[in-house]
Amino acid sequence: MTAIVTARGLVKRYDGTLAVAGLDLDVPEGEIFGLVGPNGAGKTTILRILATLLEPTAGDAEIAGASVRRNPGDVRRVLGFMPDVFGVYDDMKVWEYLDFFARCYGIPAPRRRQMIGDLLELVDLGDKRDSYVQGLSRGMQQRLCLAHTLVHDPSVLLLDEPASGLDPRARVELRELLRELRALGKTILISSHILPELEELCTSVAIVDRGQVLAHGRVADIEQRLRVGAVLRVRVLGDLTELEAARAHFAAAPFVASSAVLDDGTIELGFRGDEEASARLLGSAVAAGVRIASFARAASDLEELFLQVTARAVEPAA
Amino acid sequence: MDRPVDERPAAGVDGDLPADEPQAGAGMVVAPVLVAGQAAGGRRRPGGRSGFRPALAGAFAGLSAVGVKELRGRMRGRRAFVILTVYLVLLGAFAWMMELILEQQYARGAAGSAAIASAQIGRGVFGALMMLETLLVVALAPAFTAGAISLEREKQTLDMLVTTPISSVAIVIAKLFSALTYLFILILASIPLTALVFVFGGVAPDDVVRGYAVLLATAIGLGAVGLFFSALMKRTQAATIATYFGVLFVTLGAFFVFFFWNEMSTAGNGRGIGPIKGRPPEALAWLNPYFAQADVMCGVEDGFGDWCGRVAFVSQRPVFGGIAPFPTVEPGGQPAIEPGFPDVGVVGGEVQPFGVVRDSFWPKSAIAWLGLAAVLIVASVQLVTPTRRWRPSRLFGRRSTRRAVS
Repeated sequence: MTAIVTARGLVKRYDGTLAVAGLDLDVPEGEIFGLVGPNGAGKTTILRILATLLEPTAGDAEIAGASVRRNPGDVRRVLGFMPDVFGVYDDMKVWEYLDFFARCYGIPAPRRRQMIGDLLELVDLGDKRDSYVQGLSRGMQQRLCLAHTLVHDPSVLLLDEPASGLDPRARVELRELLRELRALGKTILISSHILPELEELCTSVAIVDRGQVLAHGRVADIEQRLRVGAVLRVRVLGDLTELEAARAHFAAAPFVASSAVLDDGTIELGFRGDEEASARLLGSAVAAGVRIASFARAASDLEELFLQVTARAVEPAA
Repeated sequence: MDRPVDERPAAGVDGDLPADEPQAGAGMVVAPVLVAGQAAGGRRRPGGRSGFRPALAGAFAGLSAVGVKELRGRMRGRRAFVILTVYLVLLGAFAWMMELILEQQYARGAAGSAAIASAQIGRGVFGALMMLETLLVVALAPAFTAGAISLEREKQTLDMLVTTPISSVAIVIAKLFSALTYLFILILASIPLTALVFVFGGVAPDDVVRGYAVLLATAIGLGAVGLFFSALMKRTQAATIATYFGVLFVTLGAFFVFFFWNEMSTAGNGRGIGPIKGRPPEALAWLNPYFAQADVMCGVEDGFGDWCGRVAFVSQRPVFGGIAPFPTVEPGGQPAIEPGFPDVGVVGGEVQPFGVVRDSFWPKSAIAWLGLAAVLIVASVQLVTPTRRWRPSRLFGRRSTRRAVS
């Protein structure tokens, strides 16, 4: 898949402080791409450079073929940006807020009317059309802000900590909305330090620390590349003796680093092999007469991965 | 969230998105928003909107967007109309009271005939109204604009605004004029009231036009001062304070320097003190709107009125001594001045009392305000543009390194 956002040798220095240190990045088209990193890692600076709000000290980035240095106007037409901290205009109704941004993008009046209604439906604010913006809840304002990024149908969305300050229900709604946008063909670059949130949402991530990308790609690929290992969960039918025999069988198999029987009777295996190896493990257990009810790889733990990557300080990924 | 189900294809319907764009999967809830094809910029490639006409259209879109937003907020509800009504009632009361005062003064005075009484009252009321409105402009124009940009920063809306395709020039100009629009409405609404002076006589319509031209130019200049400090400073409070100090400096401060120079230059039997010699430059008073209005008032005077006397103090052209210079025509056809009045350039101008040439000061004042506004608008644009094009480090040789995307 072609990269719609690219950055090469991006450097940003503030009065002697290096915020972004020679960053290279490729975000494939149609992905929900997560920028993961602790506070102060440089995520916001990277997004602000991509949004043409900051000029890089060195290097360049392109969005849909337009350079943030040379063609910031073209970049602005193909992206929607939602900053981490945003405010709302006083004395403005919800429809007027979207109308204002639609006018900014030069959308003609007849199309504006329909588009505003459609966008309010998309973000579930159809019944708030004539409410004042400052009267909306934080979650509603967040969704309205997201709607404003869509008025010109951009191909790339840059969302800086979009779920910060939201309650769990609003987070779920936001996540659902972002998935819909991806289905509509948008490429979404999203930054967050709340890892479980990104883990559920993102198709790819870049782990950023001290202004550098330590690793990037699909979570499973990073996991494999770093040989962090995975967790396999196996449910076996039978009594305790059969359970213990099955655990012993798995413990003796290749690539199994650890094994334990959990309180609910599930066998949890620390596994360092790839998918081919896990298929062979399953086959050998079945051949050995272990009665397996379920055999699954546990979801990757991005938090664990992040800690390991930042601790190892691996070389920047290509 | 409940979302409307629309089974139309999500993309590639009307040419806004290419056919190979990822499609919504079966059963996926697709909002119709992006099906409508309103895309103004999605999938547009660089260079697609280059050229003068799209740039002009973009500038108008920006001016209209910011202008409509600002005016919606300012004119919403009854507040704006109540303020306008109260303002006109007070201004009318002021004009009426001035007329009564001038009547009383005229009744007490011995000079003049009843035939010119009405004209004198008309001129007096006109002068009082223009000065009051100048005071209004000096007080309100900076206040309206001092928060125009800084409030966007405080409310954290500026980032979202500057990431739209609106140019910084359009943002700054739209902010300036939309902030001043209400002031312009107040000024223009007073024109019918000012026109009442025609009932008394003594003031011509072109005098009224001159007075309002000075008001509008001053409003734009003072508004630009407020806008500049608003773009320069993060906080509206600081911007407002700096704006009023700036306004005091360019109006009263510059005039004080003029006054100081004038006094010091007469020391030592006219030899002056140190470098302070000769007449102070008139330009020091150009940004004082009261002198500009005094020049307009001077234009309506036919006797030795007060307004011309005030203009004579700052203007380089007047001749002191109480006698207006008598223009003569040289053999070449150019009017000249009698010997002894060398600095009175009355080329083609009507000479007013105190030797002041009509319209010799206010046009310079108006041009100075508009020139200052242009300079401050350019500076404000630089401050608002997120990735500034001109930086001192660039101008003085520090080169940024660039690496092209390979």
